[in-house]
Formats: sequence, C-alpha cells, structure tokens
Amino acid sequence: MYRQILHALWSGLRLPVALLALVAFALPLLMVTYGANLPGAPAGEVADWLFAAQQIGVLIPGLALVAGVLVGLGAWMHDHAGKHVYALSLPVSRERYVWLRFAAGATLLLAPVLALGAGALLATLSVRLPSGVHAYPLSLTGRFLMATLVCYAIFFAIAISTRRAAVAVLGVICGLLLADLLLAAVGVQASVTPTVFMWLTNWPGPLAILVGRWALFDV
Amino acid sequence: MTFAIETRDLSYRAGADFSLRDVGLHVPAGAVYGFLGPNGSGKTTTIRLLLGMLRPRGGTIAVLGRHVPRELPAILAMTGYVPERPHLYPHLSVREAMRFHAGFYPGFEGAYAEELLATFALPAERRLSRLSKGEMGKLHVLLVLAQRPELLVLDEPTDGLDPVVRRDVLSALLGFCSQRQATVFISSHLVHELERICDWVGVLDAGRLVAEMPMQEFKNGIKRIRVARAPAGVAGAPFVLLARETLPAEESWVVRGWDAPMAEWFAAAGADVREVEDLDLEEGFVELLRSSRVAAA
Repeated sequence: MYRQILHALWSGLRLPVALLALVAFALPLLMVTYGANLPGAPAGEVADWLFAAQQIGVLIPGLALVAGVLVGLGAWMHDHAGKHVYALSLPVSRERYVWLRFAAGATLLLAPVLALGAGALLATLSVRLPSGVHAYPLSLTGRFLMATLVCYAIFFAIAISTRRAAVAVLGVICGLLLADLLLAAVGVQASVTPTVFMWLTNWPGPLAILVGRWALFDV
Repeated sequence: MTFAIETRDLSYRAGADFSLRDVGLHVPAGAVYGFLGPNGSGKTTTIRLLLGMLRPRGGTIAVLGRHVPRELPAILAMTGYVPERPHLYPHLSVREAMRFHAGFYPGFEGAYAEELLATFALPAERRLSRLSKGEMGKLHVLLVLAQRPELLVLDEPTDGLDPVVRRDVLSALLGFCSQRQATVFISSHLVHELERICDWVGVLDAGRLVAEMPMQEFKNGIKRIRVARAPAGVAGAPFVLLARETLPAEESWVVRGWDAPMAEWFAAAGADVREVEDLDLEEGFVELLRSSRVAAA
C-alpha cells in the first residue's frame, strides 16, 4: 500500500520535487562560488566570503518551507477534490491511511534533502578553507531535514483538516491581530502577535528550527 | 434468509433540510437489489452510511454479517464500491490506477482486469484526467470487479453514460454476478434500468424507506383498477390503496398487493371491477411515491 501511495504521490509531484532538489543541490554550491582562493586571502576577504555564504544560507529554511508547503498540501489535493470518497472506500483504517500518506510525502522530501546533502558535500570538497574555518555539510543537511519535516507536518495537518478546523485556525490568527489592534486603540503597551511569533520561533517553539544561522562554513 | 446488508432504525441528519429516518434495509445475500428513489431522496447518503463514510445519528448497520463501523476495513476488503462521481487520482494512467487499486486488495485479479480492459476498450496508458466520463465509469467498474468482491455497491453507476457504455457496464456486472453469486446493491433513479436486472427493490423517498419487496411482487402487485360504484372507505381491504381518482362514471384506483381473487372484496362492497391494468415499474414507482407523500403530509 505504501508503495502505491508513494508512486501516486510521486506521479503528481515529481516536477516540483525535482525542481526543489535542483535548487537544494545548487544552494551550497552558490556559497562557494566566490571562495576559490580562500587560503591565501586576507582576513577581511574571508569575513566577506563567510557573510555572503551566510546570506545564501538564509534561503535554505525558505526552501524547507516551500518544500513542506508543496508536498504537505499536494499530499491531499486530489483527495480533497473527490471529497475523500475513494480513499474512504479503501480497506484500511483512516488512521493507517493518513500515516501511509504522511510517510509517502516524507519519503518524497528526501529528494531535496539528499540533493542538499550532495551539494553541501561537493561544495565542501571544492574549496580549500583557511585555517579556523570549518565546513558543516552533515549538520546543515540534518537541520534542513528537520526543518522540512516540521513544515511538511504542519501543512499536511492543515491540508487534511476539515473546513471547520481551517476556519478555526484562521479565526485564531485574526483574533490575535484584532487583539493587537484593540490593545493599541486603548493605549496599552503590549502586543500579542509578536509575542506568539516569538514563542513559536524560539526554542522549544515548533518553528525554532527555521531561524538562526544556516551556515555551511563557520569558524 | 441471510442478509448481505441489514440496517435497523438507521437515522442521519444533514443540516436542517434533510434527514434519514428509521431506514430498515434488508438486502438478501446473493440478490441484485435495486435501491430506487428520486434525486435528493437520500440514496447516496444511505450508501455512505453503509460504507462507514458517514456516522449515523442512530440505528445499527451490518454489512456481510459484520458491524459498521467497528469492522469496517474487513467489510471494505470484501466490498466493491462505485461512487456516483468516480474520482480517482487524475495524474495516474489507467494502468497505474489499476496497480494502485490492486495494492489494497490482495484478491485483485490482474488477468481478469486485463480482460476487462480489453472488453471496455480502455486506453491503458492514458492519464485519467484525459478520460471521458464513460471511460472513467468503465474504469471504476473494472477496478471493483477485478477485486472480486462479495458485495458490489453501485451508486448510480450508469448515470450520464451513453447507451452503449451503459450496456457494456451492465452486462459486465451481470456476468460477474452470475459467475460469483455476489450481492449487488445498485442505486438509481432510472426505474426501467433496474427493472431488467434486479430481483429485489427498495424505494426511498425524502429519507424514508417507503417499500421493500421482491421485484416480481413489485411488478405484478401494483395495478390500476377501474371500479364502478366504488366504496367510500377501504377498511378491511386485502390490498393497499395507493391512489384513487374519480372519473365520470367510475373511479380509477392504484393498489398494491393485488391478486385476482381480491375482486370479491369489491363485490361484497357492492362495487364492480371493470378493468385491471398492469402498471409498468415506472408508473408503479411514481404511484408509490405519490401515495407515500400524501400519507406523509
């Protein structure tokens, strides 16, 4: 069953997944584009190069988000269109079917993750680093894997939820924004939305994995 | 008699406008059961309840002797379902859809599926998004037949299909039933279509099961009779009066459960039966609905 679901998902999403994999492979290589002569470079130049690599690294969590959204929403797109009737008529429990779909989607995400890993490894091997600068291809790949899975899990859950649940989530977001407006209107020096955002993006918040440094090279 | 489908006091509510009330279905094992009803009467809702897609508000459901929803995966493994609007994954090709379906049914017969593929003249490598409505309908029938189910649940399987495709689909279904002795539960609002293939019939109207009987009884038992000097009341009548209409010199009655000796009841009431006319299934169906609506009002 898993194989069939994986194949069906792959048939529907192969083009965007291949594109994601291509971008994931290219990003680490972009980080070393201007770093060919680093061992003999002055300290300022190395710092500039590290800064440029870090700027490109910022794109990696963005890529994780795009991959998670794409595969998470894509995993249920056609089932939604058919009101899940075909899936519900299959002889597996709902829970098992959901897990099978989740696992199949997660498997697809391995393509961009492995591509990033390969790109990071190739980038690392293609540059001679000055002393004190290290490459972290494995930890970058592991972090990208975690970030992709977190984004995927969130959007997978949103995609499978009922319209009522989706409205509830939207309601909470609108409620937060409204609360901020009301607080501002009565002159209270507090804001809810940034606080919630901070809570989500700081450890142990679920989105903490997306923020911080995404460096392939560091001291 | 063992029942492939049995429901008791099945109730469901969808919003303020529609509800199913106390539906008691008894589908004999091995029967081809026609589930008749006008559009919006609740046929699809009933089917979705039977297959555990919806949760009933009350009542019990047993399919193939098993409890719904407790034993649902086991039931679905033995049940082939063709929905009203077949919706498979549109990016798959016909052959990929067959492989996908086969993965969920260990008993799926690939050779039989290939045979049906040729019979239905389906393009194996074409994507489902590029199939016509008729081809999509045939593909879904192919999938459920190849899984060799004990029970086939078909929700208006020929609705919107052209006559040629409809005939292909129905003959494949009948061929399968005669081979496998499977039970078929087929819903439709096309009365004449069911007349040819069903041996039992249930009639649903506005969420209520208004009749359930062998097809033969349904076909033979509903008559239009012309009665002179018709009695005012029908107390003690050995038949069910569905409708009566006053004509210039007589009355026209539509009755259910008619048998020739029942004319004596009219004679005893001082009436005279002038003519007994057979109604075709569609007329009988219409009169049944009309009378049930009058009774409900």
